[in-house]
Amino acid sequence: MSQSLRPYLQAVRSSLTAALCLSNFASQTAERHNVPEVEARTSPEVLLTPLTIARNENERVLIEPSINSIRISIKIKQADEIEHILVHKFTRFLTQRAESFFILRRKPIKGYDISFLITNFHTEEMLKHKLVDFIIQFMEEVDKEISEMKLFLNARARFVAESFLTPFD
Amino acid sequence: MANTTPAVVMDNGTGFSKLGFAGNDSPSFVFPTAIATKSPSAGTGGSGSGRPAVANKPSFLTGGAGPGGHLSAKRGTEDLDYFIGDEAVAAANGPGYGLHYPIRHGQIENWDHMERFWSNSIFKYLRVEPEDHHFLLTEPPLNPPENRENTAEIFFESFNCAGLYIAVQAVLALAASWTSSKVQDRSLTGTVIDSGDGVTHVIPVAEGYVIGSSIKSIPIAGRDITYFVQSLLRDRGEPDSSLKTAQEIKEEYCYVCPDIVKEFAKYDRDRSRFLKHTITQPGGRQVTVDVGYERFMAPEIFFNPEIYSSDFLTPLPVVVDGVIQSSPIDVRRGLYKNIVLSGGSTLYKDFGRRLQRDIKQLVDTRIKASEVRSGGAKSGGLDVQVITHKRQRHGPWFGGSLLGQTPEFRSYCHTKAEYQEYGPSIVRRFALLGGPGGS
Amino acid sequence: MLLLDYQNVLIQAVLTERFAPGASPVNIDQTVSDFDGVVFHISTPESKTKILVSLQIRCFQDLVRYGAEQVLNREYADLVVPPEAGYDFSIQVDLENLPAEQEARDALVMKIALLKRNAMAAPFEQAYQEHYALKEEASKFTSEEAPQGVREGGEVKAIHYREEEAIYVKASHDRVTVIFSTIFREETDRVFGKVFIQEFVDARRRAIQNAPQVLFRNDPPLELQNVPGVKNTGTGEIGYVTFVLFPRHLTPQRMPDVISHIQTFRDYFHYHIKASKAYIHSRMRKRTADFLQVLRRARPDTEEKEKKTASGRTFKAGA
Repeated sequence: MSQSLRPYLQAVRSSLTAALCLSNFASQTAERHNVPEVEARTSPEVLLTPLTIARNENERVLIEPSINSIRISIKIKQADEIEHILVHKFTRFLTQRAESFFILRRKPIKGYDISFLITNFHTEEMLKHKLVDFIIQFMEEVDKEISEMKLFLNARARFVAESFLTPFD
Repeated sequence: MANTTPAVVMDNGTGFSKLGFAGNDSPSFVFPTAIATKSPSAGTGGSGSGRPAVANKPSFLTGGAGPGGHLSAKRGTEDLDYFIGDEAVAAANGPGYGLHYPIRHGQIENWDHMERFWSNSIFKYLRVEPEDHHFLLTEPPLNPPENRENTAEIFFESFNCAGLYIAVQAVLALAASWTSSKVQDRSLTGTVIDSGDGVTHVIPVAEGYVIGSSIKSIPIAGRDITYFVQSLLRDRGEPDSSLKTAQEIKEEYCYVCPDIVKEFAKYDRDRSRFLKHTITQPGGRQVTVDVGYERFMAPEIFFNPEIYSSDFLTPLPVVVDGVIQSSPIDVRRGLYKNIVLSGGSTLYKDFGRRLQRDIKQLVDTRIKASEVRSGGAKSGGLDVQVITHKRQRHGPWFGGSLLGQTPEFRSYCHTKAEYQEYGPSIVRRFALLGGPGGS
Repeated sequence: MLLLDYQNVLIQAVLTERFAPGASPVNIDQTVSDFDGVVFHISTPESKTKILVSLQIRCFQDLVRYGAEQVLNREYADLVVPPEAGYDFSIQVDLENLPAEQEARDALVMKIALLKRNAMAAPFEQAYQEHYALKEEASKFTSEEAPQGVREGGEVKAIHYREEEAIYVKASHDRVTVIFSTIFREETDRVFGKVFIQEFVDARRRAIQNAPQVLFRNDPPLELQNVPGVKNTGTGEIGYVTFVLFPRHLTPQRMPDVISHIQTFRDYFHYHIKASKAYIHSRMRKRTADFLQVLRRARPDTEEKEKKTASGRTFKAGA
């Protein structure tokens, strides 16, 4: 892990742990409804101040807390066109399977690549610190996966090119 | 360009894949749905031991990857080193390759293998640029919609195919029966009896839609008949009773008789009915095997399963009758009238005739009983018709070929643009091909 | 599979089966596709022993202009028959008139399976011949005083083998230039394609010194200036991949192999882009499964497990 990544992840971890303080809260605008307030945005008094943690201009995390739900959006590092495409492909692949991910939001917040939505119902049935672990691990692995895929692509391209040109030799 | 090229029709079954172009009367390629991959770690199907090899990792698995043997030694290209179909079976007999069947019970289990299987099917065997062609794929009845979406994801994202249509095998089998002279109206209502190698399905279809709740499967199919022939050969102590011999005998000599007791008597009267089958064993030695009662006994296990199996005892005609009786009452007449056979294990001579007779008997008995109960009312009778036709063996494929060449086929496909607009869920719905209004 | 075959596997399979000694003649009627929208039709219109193989190729007019008919007549000599309606070129094989030896039969099968390759080979062969002539001519002069015609080389042969893509071949006294115009309809393919082409360009410098030089640019190269049909759109969505074949690739002995091989470039290129996407998919599947496993750990096992004692009795845990 590089020097700047560790404090970045540590900051995300601490903020998340602090923000994941959710309680059941019924909607104030619709009777007998219980909606994630961070999504509904109907009662400004239950929304808390959003928080951005940025490692650099390309990598940042947005945490939007509210009384009964929290939204975490991640912008994944994209140094060039290839990484951009790979990130796009990978996040789409994941959201396509959002059904089994429970906390994955089907559409990322504008300006970010992938978003999670955790409600009080999630924290009630899942362990809070394990959820934080998951987000942190996700951030770590995604970067690794993207760069490995990029390496693969370059290696494969080189191999393919050489294989095609060798018979001319 | 995609508007002038023939559509590609692929019917990937549990045992065999049928590939070809729409408009032809038989598939261009029929080979096992098998893939042989290198490296022992792939033996767990790429799911057990770690993630796929990292690209830059030096690979010690060289060779087989083309002329640049020294190149493949350097980089992870294991994912290109595989064979499909007959070549896979051959490669798996040698060292270094493991054989996998990505489809189980009609449904795709291993998507990694299936994606590569398709890739090779398209580029090596069919030799088409998927961007130029529309594809018609098949799926078993009751395939989960997620599987469809995964298929679409592969075909649109990996292959960029021009258009995709996924049809249910049973519906295509019905369409294939339109070539029979017995069929006057091209309806998509009927009962499909699909008997392949592993399992036999009885599937009622009403106006192009499968009545899922009424589907029944029977654990007796081609493989069981082969085993049964083999056991008969063993009992008699024939010099060669291998599975291959049993299969040859099954395919060449078996037929369905009207009455098993009378058939035994006929054989005893007329010795010429006993045949001899000659096999050339590896090494060139010729062996002759007697072929006797198994000629009519083997397919009989569909009609009298108790002679073969001890846990499944319902004869096929009873199952078919039960399936139709459990379907909605307003389509039953259509289901009885159009019972369509499909798959290799329905090819025995007189199979259809016997089935029709037996079902007719069941139906007539029931009508009689209800006539008696109602006290004198007369029933108009019920038409039972089992359709046999020439394209039975590759029924679903042929149905696909038939529908894939119609001019409107392309408008029924989902295109890449639509996929990108709506996402993979678009393939949950397809307009009914060949339905009312189609030509 | 690494390299694509040059021949059509299906034609090969069908004919090998029909040519086998002892095979009884049957009716055939199959339409077969090949890369680049090529369509074959294998049929037995007259009698079961006479197999007609027809070829339909979209750039046949281009190919004829560059001598395709001579090449095909040379290759298939006495097999050539007037083309079937709707097709561009037909050959017919008489099963009763096959060569006796197995090797000769296999060679015949292979020759027919290479029908597409042979049709496409004409402009390349012509370029080879032009190159030989120009070389002959050029050897009479030193490089400065050579007449204009010799220095500029032959005319550019354009083969519009796909709707939006074309191959251009140009001969000169010291090289033959083959240019593929490529276009990608999809963003991912475009980006992947760029990575691949970059490696083609670099490969010569790094590993294989004797390979043809590969160049890539987004606007039409100098060779294609004033060629009708080549537009500089300025948007850069059409790429031009140039292969420069040097004299060492241009010897008559190597000609057949080089021509076969270079023809497969586009399909090879696209095949590998798709194969790498397939590999990336399988990585993503694996990684998604990993993530799911991590997430599942967050869910405590709340279900009461039925536990068994050694003697087989059961009781509720924690009760």
